[in-house]
Amino acid sequence: MKARKLGLFVGQNLRRNRRSFIFAGIGIVVGISSFVFFIGLGSGIRRVVSTEIFPMEANRIQVVPKMMQFDDASGGRLLDEAALAELRRIPGVAAVYPRMKLAVPSTMAMVGSRIAPEEVERISRMPGVQPEWLVAVRDFNSWLEIMADGIDPRLVKNDALFGTFEDPPPGQPIPILLSKRLVELYNSSFSRSRNLPPVNDILIPYMPALPWTVNDSFVSEAQVHGDKIYAHVRLVGTSHYALLGGITLPLDTVRKLNRRLRGERAAGLYDMAVLEAASSDRLSKVQEAVRAMGLDIDLSQKRMAESVGFAVTLVMLGFTLISLAMVGIAAVNIAHTFFMLISERRREIGLLRAVGATRQDVRAMVLGEAALVGGFGGVVGVAAGMAACFLIDILAVRLLPEFPFKPEHFFGYPWWMLAGGVAAAVVFCVAGAFAPASRAAGLDPSSTLSGR
Amino acid sequence: MALKGINLEIAEGAFVKVVGTSGSGKTTLLNIIGGLDTGYSGTAMVAGLNLRSMSDRELSRFRNETVGFVFQHFHLLDHLDALQNVTLGSFFSRGEEAEPEERAEQVLVRVGLKDKLHSLPGQLSGGQKQRVAIARALFNRPRLILADEPTGNLDTRTSGQIIGLFESLNKEDGITVVAVTHEDHLFRRATAGIRLEDGRMVEAGPA
Repeated sequence: MKARKLGLFVGQNLRRNRRSFIFAGIGIVVGISSFVFFIGLGSGIRRVVSTEIFPMEANRIQVVPKMMQFDDASGGRLLDEAALAELRRIPGVAAVYPRMKLAVPSTMAMVGSRIAPEEVERISRMPGVQPEWLVAVRDFNSWLEIMADGIDPRLVKNDALFGTFEDPPPGQPIPILLSKRLVELYNSSFSRSRNLPPVNDILIPYMPALPWTVNDSFVSEAQVHGDKIYAHVRLVGTSHYALLGGITLPLDTVRKLNRRLRGERAAGLYDMAVLEAASSDRLSKVQEAVRAMGLDIDLSQKRMAESVGFAVTLVMLGFTLISLAMVGIAAVNIAHTFFMLISERRREIGLLRAVGATRQDVRAMVLGEAALVGGFGGVVGVAAGMAACFLIDILAVRLLPEFPFKPEHFFGYPWWMLAGGVAAAVVFCVAGAFAPASRAAGLDPSSTLSGR
Repeated sequence: MALKGINLEIAEGAFVKVVGTSGSGKTTLLNIIGGLDTGYSGTAMVAGLNLRSMSDRELSRFRNETVGFVFQHFHLLDHLDALQNVTLGSFFSRGEEAEPEERAEQVLVRVGLKDKLHSLPGQLSGGQKQRVAIARALFNRPRLILADEPTGNLDTRTSGQIIGLFESLNKEDGITVVAVTHEDHLFRRATAGIRLEDGRMVEAGPA
C-alpha cells in the first residue's frame, strides 16, 4: 500500500473515530505539554547559569601559575613574559590575554558631600532620576579597601561600552570595569534597599568619577610602603572578566603602578592569563601543552557551572520523566482505544483483506492512525506547553520580586524540545498501538467476515 | 465447517451455484477458492495459481486482482459513499488505476446505480446496497466473482434482479461466477451446480 493511499485511508478513519481519538489523545497532550514546560524551564535556567552566573566561552581556559607542592618534584612556574610568549607559541592558541593584580592595597573613600558639583550635576541628568537618589548620593558615606587588577583590554573590548578602556593620559580618570555578578547583586538588593541608582547600561554614562587612593589601607598600615597615589576612576562598563570583589583596570595602568610602587619584578608577573584556542575541539591538546609547561589551569568556574548545570539537569530530568510517564500512561489508554476500535472493526478488517489488503497493510493502517493521533497530540501538547511557558514567563517577570540574576525570560525553547515533544508523542502512540495493530493484522479474514 | 474429500473443477466462464444446508461447508469452499481461508490440506488451483503455496502478500494480490467477493450482509463501510466504497480495492492495488473514481462510476452505472453515486449506505435499500457490493467486486476487473448468499437479505423481487445482474456479468463480460445460496430455485440459469452435505460434495454437474 502506497504512502499516499495509506494517508488517505488513515485520514478517513481518524475523521470517523475522532471522538474516541480526542479522548485518547488528551493524556498525550497533557503529558507532552508538561514535557515541554519542564524542558523549557530547565533550558532557561541552564542558560542563565552558563551565560550570566558562571560564563566561560567554550574555547577559552584560565591559565594560572602552578602552586608549589611538597610532593611535586617539578616545582611551580611563574607566569611571566617568557611564559606568556611560550603560551602564544602553543599550536592551536589564537590569543593570550594576561591579567595582573595590583601589588599594593588601595582604598576608595566615597563621601557624597565631597563629590564635585559637576559630577552631582551629571547624576541629576540621569534618565528617570529619582529625587531620593540625589539625597542618597549626597548622604552616601562609604570607606572601602578595594582590590584591583589589570586586564588585557582586547579581552573586554565588547564590555567597555561607555568609554575607552586603556591607560589614560595623566590627570584623566582611570577607566574601570565592574563584575557583572557584583553589579547584579548590587542592583537587586543593595541599591533598592538604600534608594541608590542602579548600575545599568542606561545610567553608567552618568555615574560620577570616584576618588581612588593607591598604596593605602584601612586594614593594615604595615602593608603600605612609600607614597600614596591619588587618582579618580570612572566606570565604563561591566564584564564577566572583571574582578568579582574589586575593580578591574587596563593592564598597562596596573603594570605602571606596580613598577612605580613595587619595582620591575612586580610589573612583569601575572597572576592569570585567559588563553583562547582557535577552536574548542583543539582545547584539550592546548591544555596538555599548558600543563607540560609547568602551569596550571583554573577550572573552578567551569566546574561550578557544570555542578549547577548538572543539579538543574537532574531536577528537570526528574520532572521530565514524570511527564514522560504521563505520556506512557496515555499510550496505554491509546492501546485500549485501539483494541476497542479493532474489536468494533473486525468485519471491516476482514473486508479489507478480501479486497486485497495484506497483513502488513492492516498493521500499517492501525500504526498510521496511532502516529497521526500522536502527531496531532504532540503538536497540540507542544503548543499548550509553550503557551503555559509564555504565560508563566510573563507572570514571573511581572509578579516575582527582583532577585540576583533574575532573568528576562525563565524559559528556553530549543528546537530539539519542540521536535522531541512531537516525536515522543508519536513514538509512545505507535508503541501503544503496536499490540492492537498486530492483533488486527493477525485476524483471520474468513472468520471475521462470517462474524465468528 | 471442515470439507472432506472435495475434488472439484470449475471451468472458466461458468456460472456455478453451490447449495446445501447450513453448516454444510459452502462458505468454507468459497473462502478457499477466494484465498481467504488457508487452513486446509490439499491443493486449490485458481486461474493457474496454487493458492496453498502463496505467501500472504501474493494471496492478497490474487484477491485484489483476480477475485471479487459479494457477501450476504453487503459489508459496505457506512462512513463512505457508494463511489468510495467501490474504490476500496484501489487502495491495495499494485498497479495504479488512472482514474479510480471514473472506473467506480462506470461500474456503478453498470449495476444500475447511476443516481446513487454519492449516497451513503444508510440511504440505500437492501437491493441497492448489494448492487454497490457487486460494483465493488467488479472494480478491479476480476476473472472470478464469489458470492456468498448474495440474495439472503433481499426480497424475492430484488433477489431476482441481483441474480439477473450476475447472469449478465457472466454472459456478457465472461466473468466466472460461483454463488452460494439457499435459494436454489432462483439460480435457474446457472451452468453448473454443486451440493454439499456435512462437508462432503454429494452432487456436482450441470444445473
